[in-house]
Parts: sequence; structure tokens; C-alpha cells
Amino acid sequence: MNLAAVALLLLVFGLVVFDWITLRGKNRRALLLESAAFVGGAFFIAFPNRATALAHVVGIGRGVDFLLYPIVIWLVRESLLTRRRRQEDGEKLTQLARAIAIAEARTFSDYSSKRAPSQSSDCEASTTT
Amino acid sequence: MRLAVLIPAYNDVAPLARALRALGEAAKGTHGVTVFLVDDGSEPPIEPSLELGVPPHANLRVVIARHPVNLGQGAALETARQLALREEAFDAYVTMDADGQHRVQDVLALALAIRDGADVAFGNRFLGDSNVPRMRAAILRAARIFEWAITGLRLADAHNGLRAFSARALARIAIHQNRMAHATEIKQQVSRAGPLVVVEVPVTVRYTRESLAKGQRSLGAVVILRDLLLQYLFGEHP
Repeated sequence: MNLAAVALLLLVFGLVVFDWITLRGKNRRALLLESAAFVGGAFFIAFPNRATALAHVVGIGRGVDFLLYPIVIWLVRESLLTRRRRQEDGEKLTQLARAIAIAEARTFSDYSSKRAPSQSSDCEASTTT
Repeated sequence: MRLAVLIPAYNDVAPLARALRALGEAAKGTHGVTVFLVDDGSEPPIEPSLELGVPPHANLRVVIARHPVNLGQGAALETARQLALREEAFDAYVTMDADGQHRVQDVLALALAIRDGADVAFGNRFLGDSNVPRMRAAILRAARIFEWAITGLRLADAHNGLRAFSARALARIAIHQNRMAHATEIKQQVSRAGPLVVVEVPVTVRYTRESLAKGQRSLGAVVILRDLLLQYLFGEHP
């Protein structure tokens, strides 16, 4: 194992410990998934030849590429799906906020004397000047 | 003339109060001005009766609605549009900014363009007496070409918050761009809405310290492009 591999393993281990601590008191089940993925990653860091052997089976030159290709595909897809979700949530939030705003709209009219009918009578308001 | 004025507002109340006072004065010469003021989640909330000090005048109504969270100028404008369309048709609907950039006489000039037969009137600050900063003018020139390409509308002024609509034109547009890209979206919709009479009217945009501090920054163009792209890719109403 070379120096880079040791550094990577320390980083991976450190990240899991860090997440474990910062998520104290919260639901840490997702951390098990993260840990499982990192254990798999750590295995290939520690034994790069195994990854290369696997890569050769499917006709890919390097073990790194064997891992990289699916990860990039997954990340691109995940990023687009997240963007879409955010856009949709934003649209829902806008509709909700707008519905509240319109339902609670108040009319201030005829500042001098009489009051005009408001859009929703229960929220009717008038200036006191 | 019965006039509706659509104003999206966020936080800065002083210039808004000045605009409302001026509208109150201007309302005397009309058959009534209704302001559809949308408070886009200001903190503290805008209270028309106390802070705004609108002069007592029978010809001015203010309908105020408040977004519970800040959504952006485009969203506030759309809320104002929907509020305005709930009422009996006005002779003209004018949108203006709340930051003190726009003059009430220009609001009236745009409304007159609608009364005289236009469906949509866009304010053009380059024909008026505006002190447009050089950087801003350069960006607007580029934006004008970009918008011509994607909307098919060839206008001298790309992003002017002063616009006026007839009732039928206002009913045909709907703003889905919550932030600054709504100006481009409005043009796209006007262009797609079918045969509408579109004119440009000279207006004077005042660049004051407060309007420059609050208005779009030069980086705003990048954000607008991003919002347009996101809407194009993921929006329900591209």
C-alpha cells in the first residue's frame, strides 16, 4: 500500500467518524449506507489489483475507470433529478404562498370617509387616519 | 380612466410610500386608481395604513397581499396580476417597481398608450431622460439582442419594470419565473399570445443610490440566464 492509499483510507475513515458525530441525536441509518459504500471503496483502495482484475473481466483497462464510469453516470443523473425536484418544490411553494396571499388580501380604500367592500370580508381593514 | 397599478414590494418602504403618495395625487385626475401591492415577505410586514402614509383620497384604493415567504419579484408580480384579474376589468394595468426608479407621470403615459389602443406598452428608458449608468446600458444592449433572439420581440429596452397591459393582454400572460427572469418571460408570452398591439413608450428611469443598491447587479444577467435554462429544462411551463 502506498502513501496515497493510506491517506485516502484515513480520509474515508475520518469522514465516517465526522458524520457519525455531527449527526448525533438524529436519524443515523443513512450513515450505514454511507459506511457500506465506503467499506467497498476502501477495499479497492487497499487492493487496487482486485479492482483492475474486475475491470479486465468486462474489458475496461484500469480498476479506477471501472469504478469511475458508473459513479459519474449516477452522479449526473442524481444531480438532474435533484434539480428537477427542487424546481417542482419551488413551484409548489410559490402556489401555496400565493394562495395564502390572495386569501388574506386586504383592501384599503376611500381613505377619507366610507369603506369599500373588501375582497374577503373577514379580513376587511380600513385606515384609522 | 380606471387604472390598476401592480407593485411588487420587498422591505424598502420609503420609496414605496413616496410612489403611493404620488399615485394618490395622480388619482385625482382619473376615475380611480387601484394599487395591487404585493409584499413579497418583507420583514417586518408592510403596513399600508401606518408606514405608507397614503393621503386620504377617495380615488385611491390599495389592495395589499403578503407572501408569507420571500419568493422574488416575478412571483410578486404574478400574485398582483391574479389579484387584479379577480376584479372588474380596468382600462389599463401598469406594473411599476417599488424602489423609486419609476415616475408616476410615466405610469400615466403608459396607461394612456393602452387607452389609445395598445395591448402592451413597454417603457423605454433610452428614449426618455434617464441617467443610465454606462455598465448598465452595455448589459441592457446585450440583453436586448439576446431577448430579440429568444422572444422574437425587438425592443429597445430589455428589462424595464414599467409596462402596461390591456385587460385581455394581462389575462393572456402568466408569470412562472419567480425572480428577475420574469421580464424575459413576459416578453416571450406577449410574443406567443397572438396578435397584440405592442408599443414602446419613452420613460425616465431614475437611478438613485437606493435603487442601484437594490436593483439588479451586473451579475444578475448570469442569474437570469440560469433561471431561464432551469425553467426550460425542468419547468412545468417552459
